[in-house]
Amino acid sequence: MPGVGLPPLEQNLPPIVLRNYAKWVDHEEVRPGVLKHVAESGEECYTVRAGMPTNARVSTVLARRIADLADDFAGGHLRFTRRHSLELVGVDPARIDELIERLRGLGLPVGGTGRTFRNTVSCTGWIHCQFAATDAPAVAKAISDELYEDFLTERYPAKLKISISGCVNQCGEGSTADIGIVGIHRDLPRVIDEEVARCEIPLIVSVCPTGAIRPKPPKSVQVDPERCIHCVACAAPCQGMQIGDPETDGLAVVVGGKAGNSGNGPAFAKFVIPYLPNTPPRWPEVTRAVRQIVEVWVQGARRDERIGDWIARIGWDKFFQKAGLPMSDKLLDGYVLWPMSARTGVRFHW
Amino acid sequence: MLMVQLACPKCGFVIEQYGAEQLETDAQKQKRYQYLRKKQSLCPSCLTQTAKLEERRVELEAPPQAELMAEAEAPPEARAEGEAATPTPFCDELERGPWPSHVTELKQTRYHMQMYEEGLRQKRTQWGFGGYTSIPGVASGILMRASARPDIAKGANLVRAFCPSGTFYSTKTFRALCDVADRHGYGILHLHATTCDIEVLGVPKEELRATVDELVAAGLDVGSTGDAYRNCQECIGPLRCEMVLVDSVAMRQAYFTRFLDDVQYPRFPHKIKFKLSGCPNDCTRSQQKGDIAIVGVFRDPPRIDEARLDGWVKNGGDLAHVVRMCPTRAMEWDGRRLTIDADACVRCMYCINKCPAIRPGGDRGVAVLAGGKMRGKYGPLQPFLIAPLVPAIPPDFKEVFDLCAKITDVYDEHARRKERLGDFIYRTGIDEFCRLVGVAPTPQQMVAPRINPFYHWTPEELQASRKEA
Repeated sequence: MPGVGLPPLEQNLPPIVLRNYAKWVDHEEVRPGVLKHVAESGEECYTVRAGMPTNARVSTVLARRIADLADDFAGGHLRFTRRHSLELVGVDPARIDELIERLRGLGLPVGGTGRTFRNTVSCTGWIHCQFAATDAPAVAKAISDELYEDFLTERYPAKLKISISGCVNQCGEGSTADIGIVGIHRDLPRVIDEEVARCEIPLIVSVCPTGAIRPKPPKSVQVDPERCIHCVACAAPCQGMQIGDPETDGLAVVVGGKAGNSGNGPAFAKFVIPYLPNTPPRWPEVTRAVRQIVEVWVQGARRDERIGDWIARIGWDKFFQKAGLPMSDKLLDGYVLWPMSARTGVRFHW
Repeated sequence: MLMVQLACPKCGFVIEQYGAEQLETDAQKQKRYQYLRKKQSLCPSCLTQTAKLEERRVELEAPPQAELMAEAEAPPEARAEGEAATPTPFCDELERGPWPSHVTELKQTRYHMQMYEEGLRQKRTQWGFGGYTSIPGVASGILMRASARPDIAKGANLVRAFCPSGTFYSTKTFRALCDVADRHGYGILHLHATTCDIEVLGVPKEELRATVDELVAAGLDVGSTGDAYRNCQECIGPLRCEMVLVDSVAMRQAYFTRFLDDVQYPRFPHKIKFKLSGCPNDCTRSQQKGDIAIVGVFRDPPRIDEARLDGWVKNGGDLAHVVRMCPTRAMEWDGRRLTIDADACVRCMYCINKCPAIRPGGDRGVAVLAGGKMRGKYGPLQPFLIAPLVPAIPPDFKEVFDLCAKITDVYDEHARRKERLGDFIYRTGIDEFCRLVGVAPTPQQMVAPRINPFYHWTPEELQASRKEA
């Protein structure tokens, strides 16, 4: 029966963490994937971080093997980071190499700390979702393979986070990351009259942000193609509003998001490639575009500059030039918050 | 005992029920009941959408869950057996490459690989309509998903549970979770969904209740679906971080103690996601996606430990670079002495992250922001600052959560259905929203003051001016 809330801390926290609760004073990165935290008492805590299967999908087979490793190396505790990497905390420093080998044996690469490519975040995509315009897990897999070496070694000026959302609902949080992929629908929702008749029509009309949906007597709705912005809002409350078209769906690439307050502070990523087609299973256009953006950043940025901060310094006009990205009318914002992104002076970066 | 039930008008399946007496006295349950009565629902039994639920009053001896669940039809998903024989060329391609693959994981379970294979082949999802639903006793935590390809799989439900504090698991808890997924689901776990919920996929509807009970017994309470307070994400904070300014882990515990009912009984206009970050580094990305974002902040300028700084510089610490990269150019370093201009410093944590001799200043608390989201009417919005520095006092963090409750009360009262908090604030304006919540305006709330004079004066304010004149 639900209604219990969270378990007590002691149930899941390792003793080293409980002992030094809120008493940490320092940390350093020993090498990519290995962190050392030091507590007030001088006690040292070693953490080994590993990448996880894309989309953080773990079979119970792998999960049990991970649990065995945690028993063997980390006193029976494990954790996952906010980007779904695996962490074993409180590892004996003498056994770190052995642990890294064992994790590799499970197929899990150790890395993703410091100035590296971090574990990707993606939504569930076509594995189990009705809205996804693109398959986020497969795109995540393709990008992770492409940047695999950069997960293991520190080659970048700063960390690189990549997130992939299958649609504009952004469960995969594409817009929060340094580089994000957002699945987009481009065609109108198909209205299935007999299904719509069973839904709450006023709700379908009112969730539409642009007023593109009007009632169509006796018991259905119609969509104004001029106004529809393909936002998926109407598809959630009614099964009669169907989106998704294999020929025209695709994805967009966004760049420069981050949450931390250093640099230029928290910001959403901006759309730099408005549309790329779906090309399963490996999405080569996407990995090519990501690689292109990463390399110009690596060449141009100062140390500690994340992509968004670097672009803020050199300007978006310069970024487009350097990255060789084509301009498109789709990149100029025309929606409700458009004055926030439109240029009003003549301070160009030629 | 007189029970009030809300049932599917088509098949009669009871979606939710309360004792008539409880419904009269418990304000939370009343709100939940009114909310359910007004909205369309998804019936977990016949898998169809219902415009309005049917209200019934029945006299019952014992809680009827077990018997009603038995009435439900055959499981929506047949277990995939012998399916491995069907070729999956697209999926196989995704198993190649050095990064661990989700396909390899899926193939080791009872997940219907053909659903995914067909998706990749046809370039479209093979899943059909779905959404959050409830069964008696479990108002939140269950998602149903029908299939657009009933020839492969009829559908697949999932159960969502809250991750433990700091996302730490003992292997005992972790194995118990694996057992539940093996016993009732496909044997695949989602560790985690993006709000740090555990998802157990592929639970037949007869086993939903057992799955929930077993997860709860393992210490993993369920919830975080629907128009409710969602699972609250906290940074690792005091568990393994020296930057943390407030005890984010204790705050999450207090959140669940105080708001558990709001988390497990959806009744708001839309979902409300809470994110807690212990410092402005914001590891939970609260300033991008928190409907309510709580971020640890400090007011006094960063402290410099001179002795330690000397040692750090001597050991090769590149202080000149840190000074150059300070976003507001608030630092000066002449090779011997470091000064921080407290007026220019924005407490962004950059120098603190890079140099161990610089530590956060005192006078700490949390900033509360509201209205972040990724979708909805106006697209992605970052949350708006409501209060810049609220005292964060353990164990119950009353000041912080009182403010949060006030914000969501205003939202509950005034927002339209399916309007996210951010869209609501955008529609009303931050000025009016702060008036409704009853917080005093602060200069920290503005990047810059407004450039138009189109504000409202109240009749009282005009009257006061007249008197003076």
